[in-house]
Amino acid sequence: MLYLLKIDLKKLLAYRTFWIVCGLYFFTLAFVTASGMEFLKWLASLFDNFGSSLNIKRIPLYHFPDVWQNLAYISGFFKIVLAIMVVISVTNEFSYRTIRQNIIDGMSRWEFLQSKILTNLLLSLMSVVMVFTIALVTGFIYSPEINWHYVFTDLEFFPAYFLEVFTFLSFALMLGILVQRSGLTIILLLLSRIIEAPIDAYVGNHYSWEIVEFFPLQSIGNLIAMPFARYAFQEIQDYVTFKAVIIVFGWMLVFNYFSYLKLKRADI
Amino acid sequence: METILSTNNLTKNFGRLCAVNKLNLEVKRGQIFGMLGPNGSGKTTTLGMLMGVVNPTAGDFTWFGEPPTHDTRKKIGAVLEHPIFYPYLTGQKNLELNAMIKRCSDKRIPDVLELVELTDRRNDRYRTYSLGMKQRLAIASALLNDPEILILDEPTNGLDPMGIAEIRELTKKIASQGKTIILASHLLDEVQKICTHFAVLKKGNLIHYGPVNDVEGGKEIVEVNANVENLQNVLAAFAGISAVKRENGFFELTLREGVHGKDVNRFLFDQGITATHIATRKRSLEKMFLEILNESH
Repeated sequence: MLYLLKIDLKKLLAYRTFWIVCGLYFFTLAFVTASGMEFLKWLASLFDNFGSSLNIKRIPLYHFPDVWQNLAYISGFFKIVLAIMVVISVTNEFSYRTIRQNIIDGMSRWEFLQSKILTNLLLSLMSVVMVFTIALVTGFIYSPEINWHYVFTDLEFFPAYFLEVFTFLSFALMLGILVQRSGLTIILLLLSRIIEAPIDAYVGNHYSWEIVEFFPLQSIGNLIAMPFARYAFQEIQDYVTFKAVIIVFGWMLVFNYFSYLKLKRADI
Repeated sequence: METILSTNNLTKNFGRLCAVNKLNLEVKRGQIFGMLGPNGSGKTTTLGMLMGVVNPTAGDFTWFGEPPTHDTRKKIGAVLEHPIFYPYLTGQKNLELNAMIKRCSDKRIPDVLELVELTDRRNDRYRTYSLGMKQRLAIASALLNDPEILILDEPTNGLDPMGIAEIRELTKKIASQGKTIILASHLLDEVQKICTHFAVLKKGNLIHYGPVNDVEGGKEIVEVNANVENLQNVLAAFAGISAVKRENGFFELTLREGVHGKDVNRFLFDQGITATHIATRKRSLEKMFLEILNESH
């Protein structure tokens, strides 16, 4: 297994685009998630202009345990960048036709897919570690007092975040294998959420919002709920539901299985 | 001799097009097997099926007497159509990657690079290579794990005369090491020089299969000319000739079995005619190839 990961990394680590895209991803992720206080200061200055005041010290953006869900939620928006990297990596194999040579040289189609899935796992894991580290550091900086009970509260957002990123990368990998052309795949990937949204709304309005929870991209979004409404004293979902995890896990299996089926049947 | 490859009614349809039709082939150890056929005759599709990248519609095949798996492919070095590598990797890195995929040691990389004379350019990116260098790198990659079988598909396609000569020398060098080689090629004289056996495909059908020696055996063809008015009539009287044809200013005689050029010479001499030109022509594979293709209409 690890051997297959090494093969895929050997392809990627000498590929300059990979370093640039991943570098940009981790840089913007770190930069944005760590600069929430600057955002709040900007928000406060807006309030000042209108003659009211906002005490940013009273918004515990980076306090344990809020920081876990806040950062896991925000980081979810950046997964598209990693997904595009995954698309480039797999569609390159088709446009260079190297997938053909890999198989001629003695890889099985399933091994080829495994090598890509393992890279997805690694990228997801690195993203989790990154977000966790930033949340931990900012939490220690901004929490007025460290209560260890709070530090260890709500950590389930990280396995959920991992599942969110990995499932989305599986989706990107599947699209890449089905479409095989990088430009078209990236456009489809970018539009996928926008295409699904009206369908969600239609089904929700005419049938049931319960069904919408089962839709692929909606379900990925449902894993970690938007937390910021709590600072306007609204009720939010500050936990991960078992149902959402099961649904997303199911989609993750489906995406990778479709990739497998397509690869198995295709003439390469 | 041990059978290396055996196909059994191997068939591939692309929609309504039948690219390969019920192909039955056998390749034995040590053979140098030429696959001939016009463009689109199904050579590459056949090799694609044998190397696991094209799924057969029907039929099956065995390598080394066993059903094929991805592990059997590791024992075969193959270059189909064009050389394929990662353009942004250096020649050296590409070979290291291929060694990982074939799960063989990368200790032979310097040797194979030396064999194809790419040692100096090994640290340059693949995309900077000329076509001839790309072809040579592909052959180096195919030889990485010292495979028992080498499959080369049009290895000299698109090369300049220098490149063609280089690849030809290389193929001969490898052939002399006693490896089994399957060579798909348009270059008939090349196949004739190198190959021990050959098959001819046309529109997916196998229309000829046999040893290359057969091409040279059989009936002899002799070109004759002399300063005699009625030479054709004189020749027609010789019982050892099965056909007379006038071509390129000569008379082209097809002889019966067991009759040779010297018999023609003696016959003419006995008739009091001195030949100004007499030459025994070997049947070339090219000629036979065209004959086979025409017969199959």
